[in-house]
Amino acid sequence: MIRTLYYSLKIDTYYAINSFIYLLRKLPILKDLFTEDAYTSKILKLLSGFFGILLSFTKMVFSRYLYFLIIYIISNYISKDNRTFYHVFFIFSIIGMFINNKLLTANMKKYLSIVVFKMDAKNYLKYNLFWTLLTNLSLNSLCFYLFNLDMKIGFILVLFQLGVRVIGESLELMYFRKYANFWYNNTFLYFSILSILLLFSFSPAINLFINQDMIFISTLASIVISVVSYFYICSFNDYTSIFKRINTLSNAINNDLSNNRQSIVEVKKKDIQIDEKKISTKNGYDYFNTIFFERHRDILLRTVKFISFVLIVSYIILGIFAIDNKEFSIMLNDFLSNRLGWFVLIMYFINRGSIVTQAMFYNCDHAMLKYNFYREPSVIIGLFKMRLKTISQINLLPALIISFGNAILLFIGGETSVLNFVGMFLFIILLSVFFSLHYLVIYYLLQPYNQEMQMKKLSYSVVSLITYLICYWASKLYVSSLTFSIIGLVLCIIYILISLKIVENYAPRTFKIN
Amino acid sequence: MKLYIENLSKSYIDKNILKDIDITFESGKIYGLLGRNGAGKTTFFNCINEDITYDSGKIYLEAGYGKNLINTNDIGYVVSTPVVPEFLTAKEFLKFFLDINKISDKSIEEYFDIVKIEKEDQNKLLRDFSHGMKNKMQLLINIIANPKVILLDEPLTSLDIVVQEEIKELLKKLKDDHIIILSTHILELAMDLCDEIVILNNKTLEICDKENLNSKKYKDKIIKSLKDDKHD
Repeated sequence: MIRTLYYSLKIDTYYAINSFIYLLRKLPILKDLFTEDAYTSKILKLLSGFFGILLSFTKMVFSRYLYFLIIYIISNYISKDNRTFYHVFFIFSIIGMFINNKLLTANMKKYLSIVVFKMDAKNYLKYNLFWTLLTNLSLNSLCFYLFNLDMKIGFILVLFQLGVRVIGESLELMYFRKYANFWYNNTFLYFSILSILLLFSFSPAINLFINQDMIFISTLASIVISVVSYFYICSFNDYTSIFKRINTLSNAINNDLSNNRQSIVEVKKKDIQIDEKKISTKNGYDYFNTIFFERHRDILLRTVKFISFVLIVSYIILGIFAIDNKEFSIMLNDFLSNRLGWFVLIMYFINRGSIVTQAMFYNCDHAMLKYNFYREPSVIIGLFKMRLKTISQINLLPALIISFGNAILLFIGGETSVLNFVGMFLFIILLSVFFSLHYLVIYYLLQPYNQEMQMKKLSYSVVSLITYLICYWASKLYVSSLTFSIIGLVLCIIYILISLKIVENYAPRTFKIN
Repeated sequence: MKLYIENLSKSYIDKNILKDIDITFESGKIYGLLGRNGAGKTTFFNCINEDITYDSGKIYLEAGYGKNLINTNDIGYVVSTPVVPEFLTAKEFLKFFLDINKISDKSIEEYFDIVKIEKEDQNKLLRDFSHGMKNKMQLLINIIANPKVILLDEPLTSLDIVVQEEIKELLKKLKDDHIIILSTHILELAMDLCDEIVILNNKTLEICDKENLNSKKYKDKIIKSLKDDKHD
């Protein structure tokens, strides 16, 4: 195992070094200084190794800190009781046992190590488990300390998490050996267990806690069971064939493509058949565009319908509460009259623009951009307009529900100004068009994907982050809704006009495969 | 019909790939472009197809109406890894393509016959096509578009021998009205199918004198030429 550990760390180090040099060679100005010989320079390798490892380490600490921060915020939201954090951490550890297993997941590093370099699969797996447990032990302990939490309970919880981690890995292996499948593919089982656990993590809201004694007993039990689980994991000898089966090159690449994005946007079986009536009268790009959206009904229309359903239910519940409770109605009216910025954030989250553009690239433009006819400026602009129209129509349903929902809630709250109703209504509708356009514009102008369908442009991520930050900032504003609507409407119209002009002038040059 | 490439140069950051390439290709011939791995064959095609910008040089086409700068519409490019819109069926893709190019000389089935795509495959999603079938589909689109220049990057790689023969026959039929340049690593294929062998060697192109293409002497000459490539 020591040998495997050594080689695995060596692969990680080389990966960190070469990724860092690769990054340097992509940066403006610096790229001229570093030629291909950069990969052979010992000093540069040493420096890159240092910075690369530092970067990986910082990323690890930062992400764990973020995990604790999220639990901290959620705990505070659920209840002000000090025990809430430990309760939520405990439940999240159990959730992690089901969703965060690493043993049988496919990734590029595993593919290279086991399939290409032919490392011993069992040793590799034991090393991986050991490394995961070690990093969990140190990072979790560090975060308990940084968050100034009770170190005694913290340490017990850290041990509990290590225990359930090993149990989770062995359960997954057991399930896979029995059914030749992963348990998360059993959607009903997956969502049932996770929903129950997630619901239980909120139990401090009704003063129901997992107390210290229970944590202590559970930890003892988890440690004992984890030892048995570890022996079960070690007793199995046929990891190589399992790995070869699940860790194919395409699986490895897909999994490394940020959260298996490709499978999110793939055409679902049930969408292959299209109602002939919908396409029989269409021709050319209209025909092409219609088929594209029809074949992606699952990721587009069904999700929008689901969001719309959730919105309607939410507005009905809010409406009933508002009628029933005067105080709540006043509070709601104040919110709708002065915190319209919240809807910018809501519209940001429910808009399907980002996923649509991903599907466009993976399933359509990635191939079509190889054909010269598809790169004609008139075609690019024509299809852009067609797509904008379709995406805007798709996103219009939830926007209309929000607009009417808000109007009804305002009416219940006693609002009488027609200007307020109209302003808010128009603003929400235009906001929906804005987001539909925004994702399409940045996709056409910054086309962020490369030939291998990996997202490669930093500028795209920066623009996406700025978009989110602006939406978040808007949600914090306390401004009269009428003022907000008017300013919002003007800004949206300006953005739409300018971006359409920019797309018309630049997209034929920028919309290509990098 | 002639394709003139004049002083074409292309480099990536610190690496010179193509240097002052001067060459003329004619219709009526299939040109086999040979070069070692990384010699720049795909870069050469990408420059002609304007997929990438080149540092210097001009590319002209003379097609009955004088010598003009080439337009991408004059080029059909069949890439080595076939790319087709996987969300469409073969029939939908073909219908769409015929629609946008306003072509209606033949029925859809007649077009499929050109590349021998069977009826039961026509309504399959292109996602479910094999590599060879996708390649046929890509070739079919390029044939229908009727470009003056057809670039084929490793078109027969990983195809079964039946499909290889079908495509070879098709290319032979097309050569009279098109300028066909085909890149390959397989010398036997180039010698069997092509009328001229062009070698990409030391960043530049040279046409090997047309001799007895099947002679061992000629084969040795080409291999020697390829070995001479500094390949930096």
